[in-house]
Amino acid sequence: MIHEKFNRIGNNIWEISPDFKPGMRVPVRIFSSTKLIGGIDNKVIDQITNVACLPGIKKYACCMPDGHMGYGFPIGGVAAFSTSDGIISPGGIGFDINCGMRLMRTNLTLDEVKPKMEMLLNRLFGTIPSGVGSKGFLKLDRKNFNRVMEEGVNWCLRNGYADRNDIECIEDHGRLPGGDHANVSEKAVSRGINQMGTLGSGNHYLEIEIARPSDVYDHDVARQFGIDRDNQVLIAIHCGSRGFGHQIATDYLKVFAQSVRKYGLEVRDRELMSAPIESDEGKSYSSAMACAANAAFVNRQLIVSGVRRVFREVFQKSDDALGIDTIYDVAHNIAKFEKNSIDGREETLLVHRKGATRSFGPGKAEVPEKYRNIGQPVIVGGSMETGSALLCGTTTADNETFGSSLHGAGRTMSRMKAKKTIRGEMVKERMKENGILVKTGYMPGLAEEAAFAYKNIDLVVEAVDALDISRKVARFVPLLNIKG
Amino acid sequence: MPYRFSDEYSPADAGLIITGDSLEELFADAAIGMTEITADLVNIDESREMPVEIEADSLEQLFFDWLSEIVYLRDADGFLFKSCDLKIDIGKHAKLKGRLFGDSIDPGRHILKVDVKAVTLYRLKIEKINNHWRGEAVFDL
Repeated sequence: MIHEKFNRIGNNIWEISPDFKPGMRVPVRIFSSTKLIGGIDNKVIDQITNVACLPGIKKYACCMPDGHMGYGFPIGGVAAFSTSDGIISPGGIGFDINCGMRLMRTNLTLDEVKPKMEMLLNRLFGTIPSGVGSKGFLKLDRKNFNRVMEEGVNWCLRNGYADRNDIECIEDHGRLPGGDHANVSEKAVSRGINQMGTLGSGNHYLEIEIARPSDVYDHDVARQFGIDRDNQVLIAIHCGSRGFGHQIATDYLKVFAQSVRKYGLEVRDRELMSAPIESDEGKSYSSAMACAANAAFVNRQLIVSGVRRVFREVFQKSDDALGIDTIYDVAHNIAKFEKNSIDGREETLLVHRKGATRSFGPGKAEVPEKYRNIGQPVIVGGSMETGSALLCGTTTADNETFGSSLHGAGRTMSRMKAKKTIRGEMVKERMKENGILVKTGYMPGLAEEAAFAYKNIDLVVEAVDALDISRKVARFVPLLNIKG
Repeated sequence: MPYRFSDEYSPADAGLIITGDSLEELFADAAIGMTEITADLVNIDESREMPVEIEADSLEQLFFDWLSEIVYLRDADGFLFKSCDLKIDIGKHAKLKGRLFGDSIDPGRHILKVDVKAVTLYRLKIEKINNHWRGEAVFDL
């Protein structure tokens, strides 16, 4: 077991010292549990120790309990860089910039939804475009798409697709500053302009979930997040910036291949191509990334707008009666300038989170005012058979992980192997037996996303709770799932 | 088959290993292999044709740009690749010129699977072994 070579510095923290690999500037800290640490892959160790070699990295590189192999950074990788001599790397953010999770509450309960499950599933599937080649219901012209990428969800508010509570409860209020369309290629625009309001494919989904009373761990915090009745219906959305963000990442990998040579940067993996934060290339990518992040916030918001319309039609109720309100929207593929305490001094760092969620504790100005006494909601997506979890951020995370926590269950089995193990139809049947209806345009995709292909979400949630980098609030079971 | 899929690279994504007698053959088979990740090939017609021209600093970069172009055309033009007629030069710069043949995405006719989000640089490789070409590519899904 590779972890036996590391120093166990806490009950659930393992440290890899800088002498593990030549060039490491800082240690690595793996945040895990005794149940999970044995499953950590050598590739993850190789990747996170490569991250520890990057210029300007501060304190240590972190790997979250759901860590698994990515490109450049592992999924679950977190690293913070000095703004004076640090770098920005698309490999620390991911191709799907601002892939994230939205969680919505409703006033509905299971009893009200059960008689209309089939209808609701079919109407949602017919309204929210998903799968390969899907196009959004909006025909955006170039001027408005520029506004989408620069203004984020403020554009939705002005055009009737969002309300003020949505804006209040989205990370960064749905707009990362600094987005300038001049830093985005025409290719990125033409890939993304018709895809706003679409789920995409792969592990992206729209899910209707239930908060069973037995699965609410902290009733006071849950109530403050809007979970206030037994068997309450919730809505979870997992998707990102679609082809727009993917193209920006692709474009800048090429730009940064030149930057690495130009600035004499040493990177141990081509997927860690980087540029100094303060260089022209670094600033340009930072701006383009903000554009993609803003488009992703808009993408999820437009899906929410479609979901609200379907609920109004199916339940014949007004928005007020349905109470479909945003609990929170988190980005889990992003880099952001955030204040951190380094050696007792407050310093602004560029925090990269790749498959990791911000988990700010109480008191932080970035946390919505209505949650500021308890900490930021942390939304964790699981497999379509197991549902998701809601946690809240902590001061421990602020101090130990640059305000970060896990993002999901973490895949353990390849898509190919999953498809060889079970047929999609069997997964669908098994889900139906468990009271979950699922709809997809590609049936074998259900096998790829089956529960056994992922880590047990409860184990990773228990791990971060024990580490106190997020605290358990509630767990939700799936009722309806639309798989992209 | 001139290409095969591999899951040894990444559990979440798809890897492709391609062999060919010529660079043109290898590039074409890599593109068709990548398309097969996105859609069943059976009903993809060659009803559309478009020109393609790419220049890059190296052969490997040309390979990356070529596959990225096919991904781009799927999203931007709804184009599903089926075949191509290419000429590749590897002089001071690597150049590719030719025509693409394929179909417009039609959920009614095509069995659509999963989007390739991007071509990655992870293990991206192209090499000549005993007069044959061999390539590797891993795709983010």
